[in-house]
Parts: sequence; C-alpha cells; structure tokens
Amino acid sequence: MARARRTLRETGTTGVRAWTRRHAFSLLSSLGSLARYPLASLMTVAVVAFAIAMPLALHLALDNIERAAKQWERLDTLSVFLEIGIDQPGVDRLTSRLSTWPAVLAVDPISPQQGLDELSRQLGLEPVDDLLADNPLPWVLEVTLAAGTDRAALIQRLQANERVDSVLVDLRWLERLDAMTDVLGQLAWLLAVLLAAGVAVVIGNTIRLDVQNRREEIEVMALVGATAAFIRRPFLYSGLWYGLLGGLLAWAMIAAGLMALAEPVARLGQTYGEPVRLLGPAPAIVVAAVGGSALFGLLGAWLAVSQHLRRIDP
Amino acid sequence: MISFQNVSKRYPGGVHALNDISFELGRGEMAFLTGRSGAGKSTLLKLIALLERPSRGQVLFEGRNVGKLARRQIPYLRRRIGVIFQDHRMLSDKRVFDNVALPLMIAGVSFGDIKRRVRAALDKVGLLDKEKMYPPMLSGGEQQRVGIARAIIARPPVLLADEPTGNLDPALSAELMDTFLQLNQSGVTVLIASHDLELIKRLGQRVLVLDDGRIVDDVGRRGGPGSGDSDG
Ligand SMILES: Nc1ncnc2c1ncn2[C@@H]1O[C@H](COP(=O)(O)OP(=O)(O)O)[C@@H](O)[C@H]1O
Ligand SMILES: [Mg+2]
Repeated sequence: MARARRTLRETGTTGVRAWTRRHAFSLLSSLGSLARYPLASLMTVAVVAFAIAMPLALHLALDNIERAAKQWERLDTLSVFLEIGIDQPGVDRLTSRLSTWPAVLAVDPISPQQGLDELSRQLGLEPVDDLLADNPLPWVLEVTLAAGTDRAALIQRLQANERVDSVLVDLRWLERLDAMTDVLGQLAWLLAVLLAAGVAVVIGNTIRLDVQNRREEIEVMALVGATAAFIRRPFLYSGLWYGLLGGLLAWAMIAAGLMALAEPVARLGQTYGEPVRLLGPAPAIVVAAVGGSALFGLLGAWLAVSQHLRRIDP
Repeated sequence: MISFQNVSKRYPGGVHALNDISFELGRGEMAFLTGRSGAGKSTLLKLIALLERPSRGQVLFEGRNVGKLARRQIPYLRRRIGVIFQDHRMLSDKRVFDNVALPLMIAGVSFGDIKRRVRAALDKVGLLDKEKMYPPMLSGGEQQRVGIARAIIARPPVLLADEPTGNLDPALSAELMDTFLQLNQSGVTVLIASHDLELIKRLGQRVLVLDDGRIVDDVGRRGGPGSGDSDG
C-alpha cells in the first residue's frame, strides 16, 4: 500500500492530483506574468473594458428608450371622428360596444359642444357659440389603447365601422423612434461582434509580446520535457484573466455610469410628473458580456500562442 | 540504450557536423565523447535528445527510432534524458530553486516532494546555500552545477553532459566526475562530452574520439581498465 503510493508520487505524471498540480503551476505562472508588468496589464484590461462597455452601454440606452416609448404609446389615444349625423344614443351605443374590445382600455366621448369649448379655450377666445350659429364639430371618441395593442389593426377595424368618419393618429414620431431604435439595436450587435474580435486581437497581441519576452523560458521548458499544452497553458490563463478582468471592469464602468445618471434622470422624470428610473443590464446580459469577454480573451491567446510556438519550435 | 546507425548531420548552410557515425552505448554504461572544438560533440548529444534531427541514418533510444517519433511524443523522450548544456540554459529571472524544480513541476510532482528533492540535488552539487539566488549572481562553475542538479532531479535513466567541467577548477571537476561515477554506479547511463583529456584518462572509462564529424577511436569499451589508451 505504502509502496504503491510511493511509486505514484514518484512518477507524478499521471493521476488527477498531478494534473491539478500542473494546472496550479500554470495558473500561478499566468498571474505572475500579469503582475510582472502591472501597467501594461492594466492598459490591456482597460482597452478590453472599453470595447465591452461600448456596445453594452448602447444596448442599455436603447433598452431604456424602448421601455419609455412603450409607456408613451400606452398613454397616447386615438381620436375617432364620428359622422356628423350621429345622435347621442348612437354615440352611447358605439361607446359601450368599443369598450368591450380587448384592445381598448377606455373610451371617452367628447360632444361637439365640449370640443368647441376646448377649442375656444385653447385659442384663448371668448366662447364661440355666439359667433357660430351651427357647431361644425363632430362627435369625437377618445380611445385609449390597451398595452401591447397592434395599433394599425385597431385603426383599420375602427375605420371599417360605418359611423366612423376618420381616425386621427399622431404617432408617426413614435414609429420613427421605433425604427430608429431598431436600427441602433442592429448597430449595437454589429458593434458587439466587431469589438469582440477587437478584444481577441488586443489580448492576442499582448500575449504575443509576452511569448516573445519569455522565448528563452519557453525553450528551456521544452528542453526539459514540457509538453506543448503545458507551455501554452499559462498564456491561455493570462488571456482568460485579461478578458475576465476587462469584462468585470466594463460592468463596473456601466454600473458607475448608471449611478451617475440616476439623479438627472429622476429629475427629468419629475418634470413630466412621471417616475422614471434607469434600468441596469439584465443578469443574463452581464454574464454574457463578461463571459464572452473572457472567452474571446482565451481565443486571442490561443491564436497568438499557437502561431508563435510553431515559429520558435525548438 | 543508445544506438547510432550510419548517422550524418548536415546543418542548413552546408556544415557537415557528423559523418556516418555508428556506435552503441549499453544500458548502465558510461562513456566520454572527446575531440577538438568543432568536431561534432555537441551535435551528437543534441541528436539523442532530439534537439536536432539527423539528416541521414537512425538514432535509436531504448530500441526506438527517435527520428520517427511523433511531435507530441518528444517531451516524454526528453524527460527520460537529463541534459547538462554547455551554455547552462538557466532561466535568469527564476531562482536557483525554481530552475532545478522545473522538470518536477512539469511532471506534476507535489510541492513537498519537489522541495525535498531539490534540496537533496542542490546539496549533492554543493549549492544548498544558493537556492534563493538568481543564476546571474552565480559564477560560471556554480551555474554549471545548477544545471547538473536540474538534469538529475527527475532521475532520468540517461544523462548527457556537454562540457560539464568547462568552467570548473580541477578540484571541483574531479568532485563532479565523482558525482557522475556515482550516478553511473546507481544504474544511470552517462555520456559526457569533454576535451579534458587528463581527467578522462584518470577515470578509466570508455572514450569515443570524434574528429571532423567521424569516430576515429573507441577506447576501453565495456568496463575495460582503459589504462591502455596510451597508444591512442
Ligand atoms: N546550429 C548550427 N547551425 C550551423 N552549424 C552548426 C550549428 N551547430 C553547430 N554547427 C557546426 O557544426 C560543427 C560541429 O559543431 P559542434 O557539434 O558544436 O562541435 P563541438 O561541440 O565538438 O565543438 C561546427 O563546425 C559548427 O560550426
Ligand atoms: Mg560543443
């Protein structure tokens, strides 16, 4: 029993414990090389952090704008102008019928008289009754939409009704905003892909310089019997660290930015009489950004080391 | 253990370093490789550890043709051969302890064992008090001895040494050769390149003489007293 353990220890090359020890060695070695040039390492991490933070910030901004736009949409109403000839009971019937539609949250009928009053108040005139013998305004139904309604379909359905003259929507700016956030959303993805490649290149380049500086060490390790995997591993760990630290720093930058913006945004919300709050990134997004950064760091390191080791193969 | 069969080595650039070399070194045997500078001693040693590949012929190690070895098998071959390099090949930014420990770290030996064995190896070469130093702080002879400690630390069955006494004074050289003899007596196959003929003669081991890439003499083969090489 004791003898068997002794042989295993002496070989040392097999078994989980030897594997663990070799990995621990690589891990320490990689941390050592990061600490050896702290300023250079910090700069690499910072560049990676900026590359990760940029698309993340864009994504966050769009996310918040989209959420705000949804709120504005819901608050908006359609003005449904009815036919001139309709009478009060007809209006009531239509009002109660529309109220039963699931897409409709509320229906608020405005009589021609009310409309005229409102108009004259807005124009700052005396009541215009006296000026106009006949009120030319139609009945109007102010229709508030339920959340998540397909607005276009609802408008079509309203217009199909014979008592409806026209439906007034002034939401084109919202549609434009929608289209714009869509475009910017695509841009965020494109940016994320480009900058992920950038992360791999930046880290790969840092690792390449590290390999060059440690060329002698690599050769000696190979001379005393280190496998290519063993030689490669500390550099892969380094790439992983750069990516991971860069990702975490990006997250910290975003969190700091959100904190700095919280006050001004709250004040902006107050002027609208609405509580507005910036939402941070979803946990899944954070995990994807930090994990992706680490992964691309690893990829960059792998490419740099493999290419370089092949060239200096002793 | 080691067998050369009609081996030639031509470096890119046209230098014929070795020319049609054939010899055998049995398991547990000890031999010296001698010859003028540029005769091809270092090249011959490099071919064994696959630091260079032969241009023609075969080098067999434990019966296997090392030239046919897959790239990923090379590290395992090198672990079975301890090499003491003429130019030391120390890592100047690592302490003596870590330099000597390198083969064990590569093998994944536990830290406690590494510590014990490195200390023992450094003690053997008389450098135990220098374990915390960096190689550039040491003299050439001391660096050479660190190299020896590193070469024997993983207890390889074969030890190759390229001019191990090149930088040592006679007393230290003799001491070192004693170390090699002891290792050989414990079963290690030893091949030493050296042009220190005085020392070689005194030890009475087998001597291979190289000249211009050819073996011109093979004296005292297999345990012979070797005192009779006065005619060579
Ligand atoms: N890497 C190399 N490239 C080209 N020529 C070399 C190389 N290494 C050694 N040589 C040449 O091969 C010959 C033998 O060298 P070497 O084996 O170092 O001899 P020794 O160790 O006996 O002095 C010399 O002429 C030397 O110049
Ligand atoms: Mg030489």
